Amino acid sequence: MNGQEAALLVCGVIAIYAAIRVILEKNTMRKLPFLNVVSFAISGSIVLITPHPLAILAAAAYFVGSTFESNAIASTWAGGPKNE
Amino acid sequence: MIVDLMTLSRIGVAAIVCWINFVLIDQIFKLPEKGGVSGASAIAREIERGNGSLHGGYMMGNIVSSPDASAGTLLASCGVYAAGIPGGLFAAVLVYIGNRICYDPGYAGTTGCISATFIVYGFTRIGFAASDFIAGMVIAILTIQGISYIHASRLLARIWEVRSR
Repeated sequence: MNGQEAALLVCGVIAIYAAIRVILEKNTMRKLPFLNVVSFAISGSIVLITPHPLAILAAAAYFVGSTFESNAIASTWAGGPKNE
Repeated sequence: MIVDLMTLSRIGVAAIVCWINFVLIDQIFKLPEKGGVSGASAIAREIERGNGSLHGGYMMGNIVSSPDASAGTLLASCGVYAAGIPGGLFAAVLVYIGNRICYDPGYAGTTGCISATFIVYGFTRIGFAASDFIAGMVIAILTIQGISYIHASRLLARIWEVRSR
Protein backbone atom coordinates (compact mmCIF):
# COMPACT_ATOMS: atom_id res chain seq x y z
CA MET A 1 0.00 0.00 0.00
CA ASN A 2 1.53 3.35 -1.02
CA GLY A 3 1.14 6.73 0.68
CA GLN A 4 -1.79 7.80 -1.45
CA GLU A 5 -3.78 4.63 -0.70
CA ALA A 6 -2.99 4.95 3.02
CA ALA A 7 -4.30 8.54 3.01
CA LEU A 8 -7.43 7.40 1.16
CA LEU A 9 -7.95 4.63 3.74
CA VAL A 10 -7.69 7.15 6.62
CA CYS A 11 -10.20 9.48 4.90
CA GLY A 12 -12.62 6.62 4.18
CA VAL A 13 -12.56 5.20 7.70
CA ILE A 14 -13.07 8.66 9.25
CA ALA A 15 -15.94 9.42 6.82
CA ILE A 16 -17.76 6.22 7.82
CA TYR A 17 -17.12 6.82 11.54
CA ALA A 18 -18.44 10.41 11.33
CA ALA A 19 -21.47 9.32 9.30
CA ILE A 20 -22.36 6.82 12.05
CA ARG A 21 -21.98 9.58 14.68
CA VAL A 22 -24.34 11.81 12.61
CA ILE A 23 -26.96 9.06 12.71
CA LEU A 24 -26.52 8.33 16.44
CA GLU A 25 -26.58 11.98 17.62
CA LYS A 26 -30.14 12.99 18.53
CA ASN A 27 -29.75 16.80 18.68
CA THR A 28 -29.99 18.38 15.18
CA MET A 29 -27.54 21.23 15.87
CA ARG A 30 -24.96 18.88 17.35
CA LYS A 31 -25.18 16.64 14.27
CA LEU A 32 -23.67 19.42 12.13
CA PRO A 33 -20.03 19.23 13.41
CA PHE A 34 -20.02 15.50 12.57
CA LEU A 35 -21.44 16.29 9.13
CA ASN A 36 -18.57 18.78 8.76
CA VAL A 37 -16.06 15.95 9.37
CA VAL A 38 -17.80 13.89 6.64
CA SER A 39 -17.39 16.83 4.18
CA PHE A 40 -13.68 17.11 5.01
CA ALA A 41 -13.11 13.39 4.48
CA ILE A 42 -15.08 13.26 1.21
CA SER A 43 -13.38 16.40 -0.22
CA GLY A 44 -9.98 14.86 0.58
CA SER A 45 -11.01 11.57 -1.04
CA ILE A 46 -12.18 13.32 -4.23
CA VAL A 47 -8.67 14.71 -4.81
CA LEU A 48 -6.91 11.50 -3.72
CA ILE A 49 -8.98 9.42 -6.17
CA THR A 50 -8.64 11.94 -9.04
CA PRO A 51 -5.14 13.52 -8.94
CA HIS A 52 -5.85 16.16 -11.59
CA PRO A 53 -5.61 19.98 -11.15
CA LEU A 54 -9.33 20.36 -11.85
CA ALA A 55 -10.10 17.95 -8.98
CA ILE A 56 -9.31 20.91 -6.67
CA LEU A 57 -12.30 22.70 -8.21
CA ALA A 58 -14.50 19.63 -7.67
CA ALA A 59 -13.36 19.24 -4.04
CA ALA A 60 -13.83 22.96 -3.30
CA ALA A 61 -17.27 22.97 -4.97
CA TYR A 62 -18.33 19.95 -2.91
CA PHE A 63 -16.89 21.39 0.31
CA VAL A 64 -18.32 24.89 -0.09
CA GLY A 65 -21.68 23.44 -1.14
CA SER A 66 -21.92 21.19 1.91
CA THR A 67 -20.77 24.00 4.23
CA PHE A 68 -23.38 26.28 2.71
CA GLU A 69 -26.06 23.63 3.34
CA SER A 70 -24.98 23.22 6.99
CA ASN A 71 -25.06 27.02 7.30
CA ALA A 72 -28.59 27.08 5.84
CA ILE A 73 -29.83 24.26 8.11
CA ALA A 74 -28.33 25.88 11.24
CA SER A 75 -29.61 29.38 10.39
CA THR A 76 -33.12 28.11 9.58
CA TRP A 77 -33.17 26.11 12.82
CA ALA A 78 -32.05 29.24 14.71
CA GLY A 79 -34.96 31.25 13.29
CA GLY A 80 -33.13 33.17 10.55
CA PRO A 81 -31.34 36.55 10.60
CA LYS A 82 -34.05 38.27 12.69
CA ASN A 83 -32.72 36.41 15.76
CA GLU A 84 -29.16 37.67 15.36
CA MET B 1 0.86 -4.91 8.12
CA ILE B 2 -1.40 -3.16 5.59
CA VAL B 3 -0.10 0.40 6.18
CA ASP B 4 3.61 0.72 6.94
CA LEU B 5 4.72 2.50 10.09
CA MET B 6 6.68 5.17 8.20
CA THR B 7 3.59 6.37 6.32
CA LEU B 8 1.52 6.33 9.52
CA SER B 9 4.07 8.42 11.43
CA ARG B 10 4.27 10.92 8.52
CA ILE B 11 0.47 11.26 8.60
CA GLY B 12 0.65 11.74 12.39
CA VAL B 13 3.22 14.54 12.11
CA ALA B 14 1.15 16.12 9.30
CA ALA B 15 -1.97 16.00 11.52
CA ILE B 16 -0.14 17.89 14.31
CA VAL B 17 1.20 20.51 11.88
CA CYS B 18 -2.28 21.00 10.32
CA TRP B 19 -3.91 21.23 13.79
CA ILE B 20 -1.50 23.94 14.93
CA ASN B 21 -1.86 25.86 11.64
CA PHE B 22 -5.65 26.02 11.63
CA VAL B 23 -6.22 26.51 15.38
CA LEU B 24 -3.61 29.29 15.49
CA ILE B 25 -5.06 31.16 12.49
CA ASP B 26 -8.68 30.73 13.64
CA GLN B 27 -7.74 32.10 17.05
CA ILE B 28 -5.82 35.02 15.52
CA PHE B 29 -8.91 35.87 13.42
CA LYS B 30 -11.07 35.71 16.62
CA LEU B 31 -13.41 32.92 15.52
CA PRO B 32 -14.25 31.97 19.15
CA GLU B 33 -15.37 35.54 19.92
CA LYS B 34 -18.89 35.35 18.46
CA GLY B 35 -20.96 33.47 15.90
CA GLY B 36 -20.42 34.89 12.40
CA VAL B 37 -23.96 33.96 11.29
CA SER B 38 -27.10 33.14 13.31
CA GLY B 39 -26.58 29.39 12.67
CA ALA B 40 -23.10 29.44 14.22
CA SER B 41 -24.45 31.14 17.36
CA ALA B 42 -27.24 28.56 17.57
CA ILE B 43 -24.73 25.67 17.38
CA ALA B 44 -22.68 27.36 20.14
CA ARG B 45 -25.75 27.67 22.37
CA GLU B 46 -26.64 24.00 21.85
CA ILE B 47 -23.04 22.99 22.71
CA GLU B 48 -23.19 25.12 25.87
CA ARG B 49 -26.54 23.52 26.81
CA GLY B 50 -24.86 20.11 26.52
CA ASN B 51 -22.17 21.04 29.10
CA GLY B 52 -19.70 22.40 26.52
CA SER B 53 -18.14 25.86 26.50
CA LEU B 54 -19.77 28.81 24.69
CA HIS B 55 -16.65 30.35 23.13
CA GLY B 56 -15.35 26.96 21.96
CA GLY B 57 -18.84 26.39 20.59
CA TYR B 58 -18.68 29.66 18.62
CA MET B 59 -15.47 28.49 16.95
CA MET B 60 -16.99 25.06 16.16
CA GLY B 61 -20.14 26.74 14.83
CA ASN B 62 -18.07 29.06 12.66
CA ILE B 63 -16.09 26.10 11.28
CA VAL B 64 -19.38 24.40 10.35
CA SER B 65 -20.96 27.50 8.82
CA SER B 66 -18.19 28.83 6.58
CA PRO B 67 -14.86 27.64 5.12
CA ASP B 68 -12.32 28.73 7.78
CA ALA B 69 -8.59 28.04 8.16
CA SER B 70 -9.27 24.30 8.58
CA ALA B 71 -10.99 24.16 5.19
CA GLY B 72 -8.17 26.32 3.83
CA THR B 73 -5.56 23.86 5.11
CA LEU B 74 -7.41 20.88 3.58
CA LEU B 75 -7.92 22.52 0.19
CA ALA B 76 -4.33 23.83 0.17
CA SER B 77 -3.07 20.25 0.76
CA CYS B 78 -5.37 19.06 -2.04
CA GLY B 79 -4.08 21.85 -4.28
CA VAL B 80 -0.41 21.10 -3.60
CA TYR B 81 -1.11 17.37 -4.09
CA ALA B 82 -2.73 17.90 -7.52
CA ALA B 83 -0.73 20.87 -8.89
CA GLY B 84 2.00 22.14 -6.53
CA ILE B 85 2.12 25.75 -5.26
CA PRO B 86 -0.13 27.13 -8.07
CA GLY B 87 -2.74 24.52 -7.05
CA GLY B 88 -2.60 25.70 -3.43
CA LEU B 89 -3.01 29.35 -4.46
CA PHE B 90 -5.89 28.38 -6.78
CA ALA B 91 -7.50 26.70 -3.76
CA ALA B 92 -7.07 29.98 -1.81
CA VAL B 93 -9.11 31.79 -4.49
CA LEU B 94 -11.82 29.12 -4.23
CA VAL B 95 -11.87 29.44 -0.41
CA TYR B 96 -12.21 33.23 -0.78
CA ILE B 97 -15.22 32.74 -3.10
CA GLY B 98 -16.63 30.14 -0.66
CA ASN B 99 -16.35 32.64 2.22
CA ARG B 100 -18.32 35.22 0.25
CA ILE B 101 -20.99 32.64 -0.73
CA CYS B 102 -21.41 31.72 2.96
CA TYR B 103 -21.88 35.38 3.96
CA ASP B 104 -18.65 35.39 5.98
CA PRO B 105 -16.76 38.73 5.94
CA GLY B 106 -13.53 37.24 7.38
CA TYR B 107 -10.22 36.25 5.84
CA ALA B 108 -9.31 33.29 8.11
CA GLY B 109 -9.93 30.73 5.34
CA THR B 110 -7.91 32.54 2.69
CA THR B 111 -5.01 33.24 5.09
CA GLY B 112 -5.00 29.64 6.34
CA CYS B 113 -5.00 28.36 2.77
CA ILE B 114 -2.04 30.51 1.69
CA SER B 115 0.03 29.69 4.80
CA ALA B 116 -0.79 25.97 4.49
CA THR B 117 0.23 26.00 0.81
CA PHE B 118 3.78 27.04 1.72
CA ILE B 119 3.93 24.79 4.82
CA VAL B 120 2.80 21.72 2.85
CA TYR B 121 5.14 22.54 -0.04
CA GLY B 122 8.01 22.96 2.45
CA PHE B 123 7.29 19.55 3.96
CA THR B 124 7.14 17.89 0.52
CA ARG B 125 10.77 19.05 0.05
CA ILE B 126 11.90 17.08 3.14
CA GLY B 127 10.34 13.71 2.35
CA PHE B 128 6.66 14.17 3.16
CA ALA B 129 3.91 13.64 0.58
CA ALA B 130 1.06 16.15 0.10
CA SER B 131 -1.37 13.21 0.52
CA ASP B 132 -0.08 12.84 4.12
CA PHE B 133 -1.38 16.35 4.77
CA ILE B 134 -4.81 15.59 3.28
CA ALA B 135 -5.18 12.62 5.68
CA GLY B 136 -3.54 14.66 8.47
CA MET B 137 -6.04 17.51 8.13
CA VAL B 138 -8.97 15.06 8.17
CA ILE B 139 -7.57 13.61 11.43
CA ALA B 140 -7.03 17.15 12.83
CA ILE B 141 -10.65 18.17 12.14
CA LEU B 142 -11.82 14.85 13.59
CA THR B 143 -10.20 15.71 16.93
CA ILE B 144 -12.06 19.05 17.08
CA GLN B 145 -15.46 18.31 15.52
CA GLY B 146 -15.84 14.56 15.61
CA ILE B 147 -14.92 13.02 18.98
CA SER B 148 -16.33 14.97 21.93
CA TYR B 149 -17.89 18.43 21.54
CA ILE B 150 -17.65 18.92 25.33
CA HIS B 151 -13.89 18.45 25.55
CA ALA B 152 -13.10 20.09 22.19
CA SER B 153 -15.13 23.23 23.02
CA ARG B 154 -13.50 23.51 26.45
CA LEU B 155 -10.02 23.15 24.96
CA LEU B 156 -10.74 25.83 22.33
CA ALA B 157 -12.19 28.13 24.99
CA ARG B 158 -9.06 27.70 27.12
CA ILE B 159 -6.84 28.70 24.16
CA TRP B 160 -9.22 31.64 23.54
CA GLU B 161 -8.78 32.82 27.14
CA VAL B 162 -5.02 33.02 26.57
CA ARG B 163 -5.56 34.75 23.20
CA SER B 164 -7.99 37.39 24.53
CA ARG B 165 -5.87 38.45 27.51
